[in-house]
Amino acid sequence: MRIVVAMKAVPDLVEEIELTPDETDIDREYLKFVLNEWDDQALEEALLVKDATGAEVVAVGLADDPDIDQALYTAIAKGADGAVMLEGGGADTHSRAAAFAEYLAKEPADLVITGVQAPDDLDGQLAPMLAARLGQRHVSVVVGVEAKDGNVVVRQEFSGGRAHVLELPLPAVIGLQASRETPRYAPITRIRQAMQAGGVRGESVSTDVASSGLSVRRMFRPEQTSHAEMLEGDVDDIADKILELLRERGMVKG
Amino acid sequence: MAFTGVLAVEEETREVFMNVGTAGEIIFYVVSTLTIGVFFWGSYRRVKKYRRGRAAFRMANLKKALFANPFQGVRRREDTWSVGAVAANSSVARRDRAAGIAHFFVFWGFITLFIGTVILTIDYDIVRKASKLIVGEEMSFFQGTFYIVYSVILDTMGFTAVLGLAYLAFRRGAIRPKKLDYERAEKPEGGYSRSKIVLGDWVFIGLFAAILATGYFLEAFRIVATGFPSFEVWSPVGWVLGRGFEAVGLSTAAAGTAQIITWWTHAALALTFVGMIPFSKAMHMLLDGVNLLVHDRSSVRHLPAPPPEAEHVGYQELSDFTWKELLDLDACTKCGRCHEVCPARTAGAPLSPRDLILDLRQWADANTGGITLLDHETRPDRTGPLTVDHEAPIAGGVISSRTLWSCTTCMHCVEVCPVGIEHVPTIVQLRRGLVDQGDMDPTLQTALKNLSTQGNSFGKSARMRARWTKGLDFKIKDARKEPVKYLWFVGDFASFDDRLQANSIALARILNAAGVDFGILYEGERNAGNDVRRVGEEGLFEMLADHNIAALESAQFEEIFTTDPHSLNTLRNEYPERGASYKVWHYTELLLDLVESGTIPVRSLGQKVTYHDPCYLGRYNGVTEAPRKLLKALGCELVEMPRNGANSFCCGAGGGRIWMDDSFLEERPSENRIREALGVGVDKFIVSCPKDVTMYSDAVKTTGNEGQMEVRDIVFLVQEALTNKPAEPGDLLERTGV
Repeated sequence: MRIVVAMKAVPDLVEEIELTPDETDIDREYLKFVLNEWDDQALEEALLVKDATGAEVVAVGLADDPDIDQALYTAIAKGADGAVMLEGGGADTHSRAAAFAEYLAKEPADLVITGVQAPDDLDGQLAPMLAARLGQRHVSVVVGVEAKDGNVVVRQEFSGGRAHVLELPLPAVIGLQASRETPRYAPITRIRQAMQAGGVRGESVSTDVASSGLSVRRMFRPEQTSHAEMLEGDVDDIADKILELLRERGMVKG
Repeated sequence: MAFTGVLAVEEETREVFMNVGTAGEIIFYVVSTLTIGVFFWGSYRRVKKYRRGRAAFRMANLKKALFANPFQGVRRREDTWSVGAVAANSSVARRDRAAGIAHFFVFWGFITLFIGTVILTIDYDIVRKASKLIVGEEMSFFQGTFYIVYSVILDTMGFTAVLGLAYLAFRRGAIRPKKLDYERAEKPEGGYSRSKIVLGDWVFIGLFAAILATGYFLEAFRIVATGFPSFEVWSPVGWVLGRGFEAVGLSTAAAGTAQIITWWTHAALALTFVGMIPFSKAMHMLLDGVNLLVHDRSSVRHLPAPPPEAEHVGYQELSDFTWKELLDLDACTKCGRCHEVCPARTAGAPLSPRDLILDLRQWADANTGGITLLDHETRPDRTGPLTVDHEAPIAGGVISSRTLWSCTTCMHCVEVCPVGIEHVPTIVQLRRGLVDQGDMDPTLQTALKNLSTQGNSFGKSARMRARWTKGLDFKIKDARKEPVKYLWFVGDFASFDDRLQANSIALARILNAAGVDFGILYEGERNAGNDVRRVGEEGLFEMLADHNIAALESAQFEEIFTTDPHSLNTLRNEYPERGASYKVWHYTELLLDLVESGTIPVRSLGQKVTYHDPCYLGRYNGVTEAPRKLLKALGCELVEMPRNGANSFCCGAGGGRIWMDDSFLEERPSENRIREALGVGVDKFIVSCPKDVTMYSDAVKTTGNEGQMEVRDIVFLVQEALTNKPAEPGDLLERTGV
């Protein structure tokens, strides 16, 4: 089985994010970029399938993403069999999906796993768009992928702790919410070895074949609001209030 | 046996093989030769095992210990020991005076008796035989004055060994110190038994005692049988014993019979002992002197790099260990001193340095066909140290990962070990394998990831490192932009931890008011990497260190001082190997200098305090006096806790433990320490390490002693004692009338 993990580098959210002077984008110049945390989970899930079945895992990213090479070498250090950096493609999710699809047409995968969302794709559009472009089955908000008799069994999570288990034939595209295990650690020595071995391959894809057609007019800083409410009273009162709140929000039944 | 020539003269001596007869003598020589063969075969097998280890580069230590500095460590523990310290049993007597003196008696008693036997061999088997061959008659020096001096020395020294042995047996059997009960810190699921080890100890003591006892009985029977020749009074123990036998009616003839029976018993015991040496606890007599001579405590301060040519990361097989590390394993006498002081063991963690060494020893023996007599643990399920043929990895199998992760690298084990074992570097080598396999706490993993992306374990932006300086009403110089005398390496905790930034602000104000020319690296600084290295993430350590070194090289300064003792350790001891050698001070040393020189005028505080020595400051780097002198200069009455200075007790945060879960511990080391401090009747617990402030403030709360004990950084005492207070931001405005 060949598994492709589609990856994206996003700004490290511990940094103070500034807007460009025209306020249509964030200022990427001094930002540190890290791998989208859901993509990290996607990679881990792919590696878990590899550990169980010996599947081949290839990490794929877009060359225009700052610091993506770091993420790709880290993927190799963790156990991916290879990594591909796509030259071309665009910044928005539509053109990213197109770029990945173009690559996958050339080097098809049995299974594509990508993060269910990213800080700049909270709608989780990449996985469904990619599946649509490839004409393949798709499941998102997945919390576990296991190979079974040439198919994959995935666990899809819903709110309120419900989930269902689906078995689907390959090829397929998975939007991963969380891996079964905490993403493994890549020792720096291994990352350096991967860099020295130069295991990241370049591939070119067409540029901006399918942008979303949307343009950003202005970005805003999040409004600073405070939602903290201090509960007062004795222990029983506070406990009642907490219980009430949890019921209101549907977090406990009855 | 016919005596001719010189021996025919009536001189004071004794017959060597008295009553044994020619046949007996032949049997004795055959059995002795076989025994010596067994001894050398066993010793050869041990040496062969050590030779499978990597180079350890300790020959310079050996030379120094033998020739250049033969008295190093006799009076005070230093990084290395010496032949003089081994002879004086300094490492044994340290911290356990009574056991040390007893051991000294046994040690020298045994050596003297051994030398006595060698002298006798030289006389009987060489001089007499050679003289007969060359000049035709047997010549001997074992007579007359020589015999008398020989007798009195051997008799006395043998008796000191008896006394020493009696105390040691009493201690083991009646006093029963907890450290000698051999209970494991980690209890294997399938059970275990160390009763063979206990028996082996008693066999060791018992055999030795029996050899000494039969020796004296033999002597006494001989004296009775030969009718108390007057010169035999110079064998006083035998003489007195002989008179006793005579008093209870032992006849000369019966004494002769008893003599020959005792002779054979004594010989059999002695030969059994010799044959057992390479296979039992007795091997420590040969190995531990060597291990002490090649010991180097500084290997803990600057850890060895991973094996340079290994194809895998971490230790996976015997040949990954250095010969010194393999020698360490066999050197352990199970005295339990490390077991007793270990903060992990005290806290109820599965690590005991003694168990770790014994487990590795048994594993090494199990995998090299090593033979041990009554010196190994038994387990019905054959797990852990009984694992053979790579059925389980060393790190994470033979030694469980939880055990390895329990170490705080406080170095107390190495500090107290009387036989020169270096536990900490071995633990870190094993941890390197765990890191490579990703076998670690998720919280540690997060910390390492943060360190690799942002250079600090808090996961905060690297550019926010100097944000705490905004709390100052002056700007600290940027050492990368203008020259300064002192570069202040602030460290992660003092920079990022909200609770500790006040310490940094206080220190900055004091130094600024005192006119000290200092600067910082601002966002150029990264975590120094001390604990990252001790976690076993060598690649990350190299990355952090190289980044810092580049920043240091771009800055202009004369000397460095640090807030954090951990940073101090790696900057002072590990950065030089990477090409960055600087004079590195701790801020307590700098403050002391300023107070003593009068640069900072202080008043007397008159407070009663106790002081906690951080492991990396006191034990690792010997800085114990500066903080104490500083406290004295501030007019504080220092009440020492029982464990202080190089014997200080770890707070539990070192070696990366601060990034790991400690909720499973029965009693956190920091809680144990706070209880110790409460016991000396003080309510001010003074520290000089940012992590200590965090650890002990928490421990005061979790032990329910809020209000009973105040944890304060020493910098606040200096601040309180200032006679010229540095200007608070508001003061300045008032005075200038703005």
